[in-house]
Amino acid sequence: MKKLLYILAFLIAGLAILYVVIKSEPTPTYQPARSYIEGQENAILSQFLLAKDSTVIELAEGHFTLKQSLSLDGVNHVTIRGKGMGKTVLNFKGQTKGAEGIRITNSSNITIQDLTVENAKGDNIKVMDTDGISFKHVESSWTGEVSEDNGAYAFYPVLCKNVLIDNCKAIASSDAGIYVGQSVDVVISNNEAFYNVAGIESENSINVKIFGNKAYENTGGILVFDLPGLTQYGSNIEVYNNLVYENNTKNFAKAGAIVGQVPSGTGSLVLSTEGVYFHDNTFKDNKTASIAIASYELIYELGKRDKKEQKEAEDVVGSVRVINDKYTSDTNYNPYPRNIRIGKNIFSNSYLFPTINNDFGKILMIKKPFQTVDVLWDGLEDEASESTICFEKGTETVSFFGLDVLNDFKNATSDVSKYICK
Amino acid sequence: MYRNIFVSSLVVVTLFISCKKKKPIVENKAYISVSGLLTSQDTLTSYDDLGLKKLSDYNFFKNPLNQLIPASKQIVPYDLNSPLFTDYASKKRFIVFPEGTAANYVSDESYLDFPEGTTLIKNFYYTNKELKTSTSDIILETRLLIKNSGKWITLPYIWNEEQTEAYLYILGKDMDLVLEPTTERTKQIRFSYSVPNINMCKNCHVKDKDLVPLGPTPRQLHREQMLEGTSQNQLAYLLENNMLHNLPTLSEVEKLPNYSDVSESINNRARAYLDVNCAHCHQDGGSAKTSGLHLMYQEQDLYKLGVNKPPVAAGKGSGDLAYDVVVGKPEESILLYRMKHVEPDIVMPEIGKNLVHTEGVELVDAWIRSLAN
Repeated sequence: MKKLLYILAFLIAGLAILYVVIKSEPTPTYQPARSYIEGQENAILSQFLLAKDSTVIELAEGHFTLKQSLSLDGVNHVTIRGKGMGKTVLNFKGQTKGAEGIRITNSSNITIQDLTVENAKGDNIKVMDTDGISFKHVESSWTGEVSEDNGAYAFYPVLCKNVLIDNCKAIASSDAGIYVGQSVDVVISNNEAFYNVAGIESENSINVKIFGNKAYENTGGILVFDLPGLTQYGSNIEVYNNLVYENNTKNFAKAGAIVGQVPSGTGSLVLSTEGVYFHDNTFKDNKTASIAIASYELIYELGKRDKKEQKEAEDVVGSVRVINDKYTSDTNYNPYPRNIRIGKNIFSNSYLFPTINNDFGKILMIKKPFQTVDVLWDGLEDEASESTICFEKGTETVSFFGLDVLNDFKNATSDVSKYICK
Repeated sequence: MYRNIFVSSLVVVTLFISCKKKKPIVENKAYISVSGLLTSQDTLTSYDDLGLKKLSDYNFFKNPLNQLIPASKQIVPYDLNSPLFTDYASKKRFIVFPEGTAANYVSDESYLDFPEGTTLIKNFYYTNKELKTSTSDIILETRLLIKNSGKWITLPYIWNEEQTEAYLYILGKDMDLVLEPTTERTKQIRFSYSVPNINMCKNCHVKDKDLVPLGPTPRQLHREQMLEGTSQNQLAYLLENNMLHNLPTLSEVEKLPNYSDVSESINNRARAYLDVNCAHCHQDGGSAKTSGLHLMYQEQDLYKLGVNKPPVAAGKGSGDLAYDVVVGKPEESILLYRMKHVEPDIVMPEIGKNLVHTEGVELVDAWIRSLAN
């Protein structure tokens, strides 16, 4: 009888802990003060439609609701300027035409500054095939409680060159807040990204500097991804002087989206990619891991397993950047991370438990109970590569965990000294 | 004094009664079948550096303008084997050749290399049968593509309510329409027709950063049409009138199937349908090139046609489905899912479509099933 009571007490305590752990993944709400004005659409639209080379589109102060996308195509040296974040607001809630808020294509030297873009059906600001795109003091957000119905990307330059995103705010994207895809020569600096699934994401991009940013209360703070089947593969990415904290928001990405695989509680996640250097960042209170390094192979396997679990809809994947089962047929693609360099960073974590609504969290819960992990690595490597990960001298105290998932964690290691940079 | 009060109250009463009488009349008129054409209420702006203010300023057509009768032999009407679906609107198309010029053949699937100064005219209208209350066809808009200094420009004109003129109108406009049932469609349709704004033209017409015509390719023009009172092949007509050079022997020119022609195979019809409705973006150099889905009629690679191909950046457009096309399973194919929706973040094509094209959906559904054989 006594034994039974013990077991019962144990069970209740266990459930209570579980409840706390699960409950502690917040679903935030972004509710800025707004007073929307309708009826300015044609005036604003005209400015975009009549823009020529060197036009400056000046937008007045006011919170304007628009029913259609604003687009620019084939123009050079054009500036779109408002009266300040939260002062000039372009609100696309309930839009009926086009999926983007602002859409810029085939242009060069475009600057967007001092305004807010919010609530587009798809992406708030998409820029494609453009050389020279700068965002300065731009807020891009979805208002209300975060939801998978929010648009995918707040800032979305893709296939661009010379990208600058500086002093901007990205809020509540159901995929990535600041997202740069398949681009070259990119600076993402001094921004704030919060309440997104991914705060900042560099994907398949080359020569990227990510510094001075604050990424907090996302599911994952700063991600560096390389995905198969695209026009180019990422390399030479430096992540430094960023403040990455409390990225413990519940993952609200659409099912099957690649960022749906990001465990809540992730400070940074590197997925495949060559040449990523982390230094002088502060990672604080990211429950699962401060920096996680994984191969596409692992994500693919995890994705497959998730798929099996969804019994009623067996083939469900779909969405933004999906897990691609054709990746092995892409001969230019390397699914393993290579030359990932960890310099001096500040790591701290006041949480005792990882978030356990994900595989990483469950593994850590079992393998590393009551310990926090600063750098987590799946242990999968490209045999041909000289180095997968390395730690700079002076970082030996980092709490490291290499999982060796391939051999069922047999050779799992916490020994940093094996991976000191040459 | 009292008389005044009596008179004025009489007036008020009469007014009240007359108002009451009038009201039911308005209510009895079930609907206005077209609203949104230009009226005196609309502000019209001149855009001198873009194009002429009025359609009549170009002198393309004889009076009355809305009969669309070409003003000269240089203005040649044409039709396409498989036209783009635009919410069941009918179209009247013309090529305006500058005097003494001709287009060059490039290839069966490439648009003709038109001479400098060419204008392509496309008028969008609904017939008086579809719009019950009108006595003649109603033209909503006329789109011009003009080749100027080697570059094509687009100019959208919107017609007035009186159908006497169309004005350059760059902002785009919504028109509420009620379409009556026809022999093909059994139900009345109420919807909002969207005239695109001037930048939206580029959404479909840009290829490799340049604006290009889409319709007038040899394989689309290879068909019979009433020209000068007799039925003639359009390409042969252009050739005879010295408006087309370097055309190979006519019998060797490929014909794009008419997707409505039930004597053609399901595969040919569906592929023609996908070509004209999707491939302007879904091809190399088109604005959907990053999707990896290529739907040109000549595409032979099943993966590029979407078979077992996961979407790249479809967002909500994927409908939680895994592949663009699942052989034998139209209900699991993203391609069809997007054709069946009209929400702006799901609908395909992205613009110019506010209605589901039931017949197109049936055709592509049948094609996806047929791939299993």
